[in-house]
Amino acid sequence: MSIVSGPEAHEEDEFRFHTGRQAPTGVQDAIEFVDVHKAFGRNKILRGLNMGIPEGRISMILGPSGTGKSVCIKHMVGLLYPDQGDVIVHGQSVPNMHDDELFEMRKRFGVLFQDGALFGSMNLYDNVAFPLRQHTDKGEDEIAEIVNRRLREVGLANANDKMPNELSGGMRKRAGFARALVLDPDIVLFDEPDSGLDPVRTALLCELIQEIHEENGGTYVVITHDIMSARRVAEHISVLWRGRIVESGPAEQLFESDNPFVRQFLSGDSQGPLGME
Amino acid sequence: MVRSVADRAFSPARNVLEEVGDMMILTGRTIASALRPPYPYGGEFVSQFLFAVRLCWFPLLISTVAFGYGAPGLQAANFLVIFGALDRLGGFFVLASIREFAPFVTAIVLAGVAGTAITADLGARKIREELDALQVLGVDPVKNLVVPRFLALMLVTGLFNIYALIFGIFGGVLATLTNGAPLGPFWATFFTNASTTDLWGSVLKTTLFGAIIAIVCCYKGMTASGGAEGVGRAVNQAVVIAFLGIFAFNYVFTQTLLATHPEIQVIR
Repeated sequence: MSIVSGPEAHEEDEFRFHTGRQAPTGVQDAIEFVDVHKAFGRNKILRGLNMGIPEGRISMILGPSGTGKSVCIKHMVGLLYPDQGDVIVHGQSVPNMHDDELFEMRKRFGVLFQDGALFGSMNLYDNVAFPLRQHTDKGEDEIAEIVNRRLREVGLANANDKMPNELSGGMRKRAGFARALVLDPDIVLFDEPDSGLDPVRTALLCELIQEIHEENGGTYVVITHDIMSARRVAEHISVLWRGRIVESGPAEQLFESDNPFVRQFLSGDSQGPLGME
Repeated sequence: MVRSVADRAFSPARNVLEEVGDMMILTGRTIASALRPPYPYGGEFVSQFLFAVRLCWFPLLISTVAFGYGAPGLQAANFLVIFGALDRLGGFFVLASIREFAPFVTAIVLAGVAGTAITADLGARKIREELDALQVLGVDPVKNLVVPRFLALMLVTGLFNIYALIFGIFGGVLATLTNGAPLGPFWATFFTNASTTDLWGSVLKTTLFGAIIAIVCCYKGMTASGGAEGVGRAVNQAVVIAFLGIFAFNYVFTQTLLATHPEIQVIR
């Protein structure tokens, strides 16, 4: 019997709730993480992440703060590269792409950043028109028609001339959503769309995400730690903790999971494996 | 234990070397991006050039006249008056102003005024995730943001050097007049000692100072982290690193110029 526990024993203990179970979804994965490790200095964020994001669904990556959810999004679009492992988007390895391939691949993505990431020097209209002017040969009339439609969809039809610093947090997010959609991307990523919003605005934004997904289709990936948002919109859930997947699968199965960590997190209970550490 | 102590001792040195390496890589990528089509940075280049001119012309005017009048002007004049050789002040101004002070003052003002503005601007964009958004929208930030700033700062520092030369020498003229001496001997010794090598050397050196300022300030802005405080820290570090880079490069450049053109060392 060992008196002093070694690093393996400690690691085993740390990941004792990580079954890594991936319930089948019946569709192909649009994005795959294969044994991805990522550290910033001594801070290990992703520690052998294996995760699949199913094609054509609204997937949610849930987990406590600081577990690497935003880092996941940055790996998907090649803003960060893994120290080890691979990230595969539609069968192509992102870390092995040349710059030109990467810029081409990114055109298939729409990303809604936490605070919208609107360009401060442009008004709302120009912000939403930017990807169209940059990547298409469309004339200004056609661009105006697309931009106005997208702004109408997100409820900002009358804010064309406003500068980003004149908008509320919720409006900036909706504007960021409109910009993320103008190129009709195959994959849309949402980095904590509910952060800084009141519950009513969060619910409205979730409804908007659902409506637009129903209308346009595509693979949506939503990063959040808000369980209410997950209950509203998620079709597929991956629960991330300590840089690895605890469990993942269709939302209804995850909400019925008997894994103590998943159960605690999805019910928002203070009693369970997750403490304040 | 030993490893932990070694890590603490060597990690700052490793970080510095990593940053220098990253700046070298950014320089290479910037030059390659500037030369490789397409060339979408024309508008941004003009706006950055005008921005730097607008910000710097007045501080540079004050700095060069005051510096030229005070340091090489009055102090060298006080020294030369002892030997009754105030006419040599013009010749001294070739050495002092053209070769050293004008490029230095130009670089310091450009780094302090335009360089810090660039770091603060890019740093704020980085913190607001605008730079990430640009990349995700398929726009290369090096080609669209760094290249125009790099070219604009190089051009503007090179041109401002001539402006600084004129006003620096005007400081020398003021110092001569303060001593009640005529200007003829000042100009005579000035033009006897001045050479085209001094002029192109000065302009080339300052243009390369502009490149150093642009790379350091863009790099620090684009790697800022930690919110508003992080942007402030990046601006501070950008100025310090740009000054160190300028001083080190000045030594290498001037020594190389003097070694390859020994005729300019002769005082006539």
